[in-house]
Amino acid sequence: MSWRVALIALAVVAAVALLAWLLHGGGPQPVQQVLPSEELPTPTPAPEQRIVLLFPGGDGLLHPELRTVPFPKEPHARIRVVMRELLAGPAATPRLAPVIPYEAELNAVFVDSDGNAFIDLTAPPDSLQGSSTELLLAYGVVDSILLNCPTISAVQILFGGHEVGTLTGHLDLSKPLVLNKRFIAAS
Amino acid sequence: MGFQDLKRLLQLVLIALIIGAGLLPAQDLDRTIEFQFGGRAIVVPRFGPRFEVLPVLELMGAEAGYSPAAGTFIVVWGERSIQFAIDHKMVLIDGTLQEARDAPAASPGGVAVSLTFLDRSLLSPMDHHLEPIPGGYRIVPGARFADPVTVRPAAADFGATTTLLLSLSRPAEVLVEETPAGAVVVRFEDASPQLDSTVPFRSRRVHSLTSRNQTIELALASGVGLLSWHVVEDPPRVIVELGIASPTPTPAPVQVVRRTGPRPIVIDPGHGGDDVGARSADGLMEKDLVLGIAHRLKRVLEARGHPVRLTREDDVHRALTDRTALANRLEARVFISLHANASTVASVSGAETYYMSLDQSSTDAEAAATADLENRAGAASGERSPLDLILWDLAQAEVLNESADLALALQGRLNALLGLRDRGVKQAPFVVLTGATMPAALVEVGFLSNPSQASLLAQPTRQQELAEAIADGVEDFVRR
Ligand SMILES: [Zn+2]
Repeated sequence: MSWRVALIALAVVAAVALLAWLLHGGGPQPVQQVLPSEELPTPTPAPEQRIVLLFPGGDGLLHPELRTVPFPKEPHARIRVVMRELLAGPAATPRLAPVIPYEAELNAVFVDSDGNAFIDLTAPPDSLQGSSTELLLAYGVVDSILLNCPTISAVQILFGGHEVGTLTGHLDLSKPLVLNKRFIAAS
Repeated sequence: MGFQDLKRLLQLVLIALIIGAGLLPAQDLDRTIEFQFGGRAIVVPRFGPRFEVLPVLELMGAEAGYSPAAGTFIVVWGERSIQFAIDHKMVLIDGTLQEARDAPAASPGGVAVSLTFLDRSLLSPMDHHLEPIPGGYRIVPGARFADPVTVRPAAADFGATTTLLLSLSRPAEVLVEETPAGAVVVRFEDASPQLDSTVPFRSRRVHSLTSRNQTIELALASGVGLLSWHVVEDPPRVIVELGIASPTPTPAPVQVVRRTGPRPIVIDPGHGGDDVGARSADGLMEKDLVLGIAHRLKRVLEARGHPVRLTREDDVHRALTDRTALANRLEARVFISLHANASTVASVSGAETYYMSLDQSSTDAEAAATADLENRAGAASGERSPLDLILWDLAQAEVLNESADLALALQGRLNALLGLRDRGVKQAPFVVLTGATMPAALVEVGFLSNPSQASLLAQPTRQQELAEAIADGVEDFVRR
């Protein structure tokens, strides 16, 4: 059989196949994959993990509080869990104070490709004062996130959707802060 | 005989006349200069500040002569080739252009150069230098500028001024001057500066730095000029203050302060004006308390012979960056920012001292963030871009250990006065300490949110004690 004959045969087969397909209704049919019910993917809860949260104490330093919570892997989701727990306030140790000293909510969390996280909190009231207030708020949030989220390298806190230079006129909040353990009380 | 031949003959006659004229003064001993090299010596004619140089180079065994092909004189010394030309300041050393201080001149023997030209532009590349002897000079091995100075630039752009910090790899004699054309030049007397370009450099007022021969030229934004400069020995660095040179009507005119006499201690009473700072339950305001302590501290230090300047004399608002900029412009010996604290936890008490933290500019983070920062810098609002901030940190990095010593000295005295358990000196990135080129610390004298501490802080005796303790700490530091 020569090549020419083979090609013609192939073309005829293709034409017949195309005709059969068009007669069948044409166009792609929606693929319906029916899986046995026991194989359906169900959302598995994040494994429980012990996380460390930092809250200000009566000595003007941050104190760790350990809490066991379902803790996802994804950095963005992790930060949300840490912030949710921080905003819920200190639990186990009543003598500790809230890390955000006003009614605050987490508005947004962003993580950039360099591992910088941006946390947007409710804007503070004008009454905040003192470098201690500023330092403990900033490092309470920043260190709590960094100690629990190893893929995050620095955290910048935004307030009311805006970058701020400083909160009470001391600490530079205009750029992401890295881990600073100097405000965590020695155990 | 053609025209070319005639021209050639005229040239020869002219040269003969010049040589003849040159030989006569060579007889005069006052008009000669002796050079020694190895065990040999040569006496060459001198013409004012210049002398015949080719015999000197031949004495050293270098091949030296005029190359019609190159249009220059060429000196060949081992691997090295140096080219220079009459009436030109440019010297080609192995193909690299350098600018000499002065130009060679035509002479009966071919070419005459100054001692500076011989020493810096010829002998230095040949790894030799001149040493004076009676009646002349000895040429000895070892280049005068064998050890180049690496210069790492950093700039801090403040509201109206820029602090340019040049960190040197070794001490060097430096002169900063403004040329009649308005350019600012950093001149190294005994070294060839090499700019370290591994660190990103950006400033609103300094567009670029160029090292050329023994100078670094600053390309400045229009209207920007030299305000002041000074050299700090340890670690070696040059600090140049730049700003709008001519007084122009602006909303915030530059306070051009020229320091005379010893470097002052700059005290910064925190807050002021609308920014009251912390406030006690019975109304004592941080801005008033720290201003009072600052005035007391000024009097104590002045009584002990230290010049002092305050960043604000009364209840006025000052931008944080202006306070740092003033300390830099005054070339302050020490910068101390005074504050009183507040906490949402009423029981918190104590005095604390802080110094700058360079966490943000840790090298790995910086490298990773630079590209991003450069992108964001363009979009950043206000007058400080994120990249500027990194560079500000560099200014303080140079003196960080000294700042730590200062903070420890201050906290030691405060602990002794207040009978405090040591709360320890801490570091954090405070805006007012960022970009300070001198040892700098921020002192929190106590908590106004703590009622018993607030009533104590309100007492003039306690304020005086605090001022004296801080003065003692400053003296402990400066007398180390
Ligand atoms: Zn303050």
